[in-house]
Amino acid sequence: MNSAPRFRLSWVPTLILAVFLIPVSLGLAGTWLPAFGWFPALDQTHFSLQPWRELLDYPGFIRATQLTLITGLGSAVLAVVATLILLMAFYPSSLFRRLERWLAPVLSVPHAAFAIGLGFLITPSGWLMRLFASLTGVPVYPPNWLTFQDPWGISLILVLTLKETPFLVFMALASLPSLKVSQTLWLGRSLGYGRTKIWLTLLWPQLYPRLRLPFFAVAAYNLSVVDLALIAGPTTPPTLAVLVNRLFNDPDLLLRLPGAAGATALLLLTVAVLFSLRLSEPLVRYWQQRAVLNGRRWRQALGLHPLASSVLGLGVVAYGGALVVLVLWSLAGPWRFPDALPQFDWSHWQNAPRQFGSALWLTFSTGLCAALIALILVIAALENEVRLNYQRRDFNAQRLLWLLYLPLLVPQIAFLFGFQVSLIWLNLDRHWWVLVWSHLVFVLPYTFLTLSGPYRAFDDRYSWLAQSLSGSRWQAWWRIKLGMLWRPIGYSLATGFAVSVAQYLPTLFIGGGRFATLTTEAVSLASGSDRRAAAVSALAQQGLPLLGFALAALVVSWRYRRHRDLQQGGS
Amino acid sequence: MKRLSLLFTTLTALSCLTWADDWQDVLNDADGQTVYFHAWGGSQPINEYLSWVADQVEQEYGIQLEHVKVAETGAVVSQVLSEKTAGRDDNGSVDLVWINGENFAAMKANDLLFGPFTHNLPNYAWVDTENKPTTRFDFTTPVDHLEAPWGMAQLVFMYDSARLENAPTSMTQLLDFAHSNPGRFTYPAPPAFHGTTFLKQALLELTETPDALYQPVEQADFEAVTEPLWTFLDEMHPLMWRRGQTFTNGAPEMQRLLADGEIVISLSFNPNDASNAIANGELPDSIRTYVHDAGSIGNTHFVAIPYNSSHTAAAQVVADFLMSPQAQARKANTDVWGDPTVLSMDKLNAEQRALFDALPTGVATLPPDELGSVLREPHTSWVGALEQAWLERYAR
Repeated sequence: MNSAPRFRLSWVPTLILAVFLIPVSLGLAGTWLPAFGWFPALDQTHFSLQPWRELLDYPGFIRATQLTLITGLGSAVLAVVATLILLMAFYPSSLFRRLERWLAPVLSVPHAAFAIGLGFLITPSGWLMRLFASLTGVPVYPPNWLTFQDPWGISLILVLTLKETPFLVFMALASLPSLKVSQTLWLGRSLGYGRTKIWLTLLWPQLYPRLRLPFFAVAAYNLSVVDLALIAGPTTPPTLAVLVNRLFNDPDLLLRLPGAAGATALLLLTVAVLFSLRLSEPLVRYWQQRAVLNGRRWRQALGLHPLASSVLGLGVVAYGGALVVLVLWSLAGPWRFPDALPQFDWSHWQNAPRQFGSALWLTFSTGLCAALIALILVIAALENEVRLNYQRRDFNAQRLLWLLYLPLLVPQIAFLFGFQVSLIWLNLDRHWWVLVWSHLVFVLPYTFLTLSGPYRAFDDRYSWLAQSLSGSRWQAWWRIKLGMLWRPIGYSLATGFAVSVAQYLPTLFIGGGRFATLTTEAVSLASGSDRRAAAVSALAQQGLPLLGFALAALVVSWRYRRHRDLQQGGS
Repeated sequence: MKRLSLLFTTLTALSCLTWADDWQDVLNDADGQTVYFHAWGGSQPINEYLSWVADQVEQEYGIQLEHVKVAETGAVVSQVLSEKTAGRDDNGSVDLVWINGENFAAMKANDLLFGPFTHNLPNYAWVDTENKPTTRFDFTTPVDHLEAPWGMAQLVFMYDSARLENAPTSMTQLLDFAHSNPGRFTYPAPPAFHGTTFLKQALLELTETPDALYQPVEQADFEAVTEPLWTFLDEMHPLMWRRGQTFTNGAPEMQRLLADGEIVISLSFNPNDASNAIANGELPDSIRTYVHDAGSIGNTHFVAIPYNSSHTAAAQVVADFLMSPQAQARKANTDVWGDPTVLSMDKLNAEQRALFDALPTGVATLPPDELGSVLREPHTSWVGALEQAWLERYAR
């Protein structure tokens, strides 16, 4: 009994590697071939640089690349800055503990639904304007203001920043308990330093290495996002990812070759950005070291609290407002400007069960399977890591982490096309388990992210004690370690489920259109003119992961109903 | 000569006999098959119509029809292309696809289509191929029985009669409207389908040599032919919604802007769109439809079967059912969808015609005599050239 689990656990990292590397590398190869002129189905069988020349000549390519850099990098940096501001101003505090509880559901809001909701909040005919106009009587018609989809990418940056900041805060919260924040703040203050200075010079340098991968994932995602950029981004030209997507779907089939080159260019751009971010870290460190030594104490945190409060306020208004307008639209009959409220009509919800019934079941079963498999693999990998640590074997956890992150760092559009062709070629497409597998590629990293912090922070003395009492390593692990980790496990299961529910491109590419999930339904309805139908499907898509989180919270509190110390905070 | 014609008649009669047998074979094969019909899923009325079709073909032919709701037809073409790339020449994922124009031309040119088959479909006999030439030429590409006509389309404009008394009757008047109502008109950015159609319509109205548009673009002096279009757009853009700094991605988004009161004039490819949208509460009932005096671009949309479809028999039966008077009449009802029929009333019998006569007239639907003449689509090669030139000018 004792040696068996160790034997099995040792090949878990290899298994995880296979889960990831196969789809990504198959997919990349399948995209690079057409990028260099190889596309036999279109009689293109000569390797050349022609697709790249066509891409460079494509109108707007240069500007699209600039826009991608500005919006992608800008929003990622802004998200980190916003995270830092929030932490500096409010961590640790009771406000933050309350925030923590709201983070998971906020994270489960699908990107597209959030952007649609936010768009309807801030456009000149949006809800804010309607509220204003219905109170004051002016304007009678929506003004011609450019508040959304501006050509400079400002609204896209806003949406991306708002969407990614909660994720970074969430990841920071997973690492902060091990940093002794309160003690450091106490020590710093006793020497007369202000909060800002302590955070920037003492805490942030410790936190950043743990936030680096999530930050890079955010940057990569923001550079390559398609659906959000379609809704909130500029149009003439759009960002590079949208442009590439357009080339892939163009009726002129030969444009798929420059499209493949564009997808590869996007990958190169992402790699270049991540490298420069990594290379610029010493500069920041140099500045930090100078700041440590310069002797200034920054006792007054001028403007920090108002700034942080407005960041927080903006987030609350954006998320709350986006949700409220979606609910309003789903219940709307006719709703004309400048009415603050629609004429209510329930009929769109009445059709919902018939319409989404089968999609709901498929979304649920796929999400649950992917989340469970990911959870088992992640726990096995983490347990393996713990045991290797005791054996003092050379184990590089960081390397595994980079591999895990690979699917999040590589733009989906750069490998999904090739992955689809490979699957068809291997006759593996249209199988439900392949759908689960493809979701797993994205679910696993997030499950790992959410669980690894608490799992590694677990105090192993509990396990030793339990083992010495029960005599069974298995019993000690199952009843005590897992027993005490129910909360993080429940949340990472819910997170994995939410990530699976939100997958659009993989579902579309793997299933040949045969797998209709709530997300594919929502995206196709969002392409139509009827906001009410789109709102119903967006809410259905949003509701399922929310239900997952609620269930996780419920189960955990039921499990700990007799353990007062575990009821809040967990381990 | 006489003998030859006799022989021909005999052959025709014989082929009709075998044809009936063939069709019975197709029906037999189709029974129990599943058809994956990839069609745009952005419209609730259309989705509901297709679920009615699914019920009908299941009852009548034992066919399981699955509507695969797609956001873009280009993605379906990609799917078939990926399957061809991977060497899957049968057992494909797509059995039937809603298609027309450029996507059809591309699939045809790359041998991605099954057929010819439409001449074997019984209901094809009712199609008005004589008076609706676009059922035979899709964007000037010969259809060659590779796709079955499904519905008629014509570019129409919609305006809010509560805010505008007299609708423009030409592109020049549209420009006048923009001068007096800045910010209240826009069009989708090419290469979005509706945007490109607007460009073609404007070019047909404004150019001095419209005939050149029906020849391949290589044979024309592109600069000279399109010069008036760019002058028009250069003047129009600063007067448009958001001063032309951003564009919508298609007619559905424009319809939302019209409903919100952001714009006063919108466009659609379905002359009954406004009526249908008023009927289901999307648009205010003050919206009306209009066309320009010079006529407007019209075409036909079709369904086609990819070359590697798994169930060609059932796909043909569904394509045939979609052309039946019963299905066409229901589709033309503005309370259901309002998509104009491809059938000829003259070819139908009295009972079938009655189905169409009984249809309600939508509140915002133009009577046939006010719908004006239909302009043919320019040669397909103009599409790419116009889009490229537009992008060069306005989307760099």
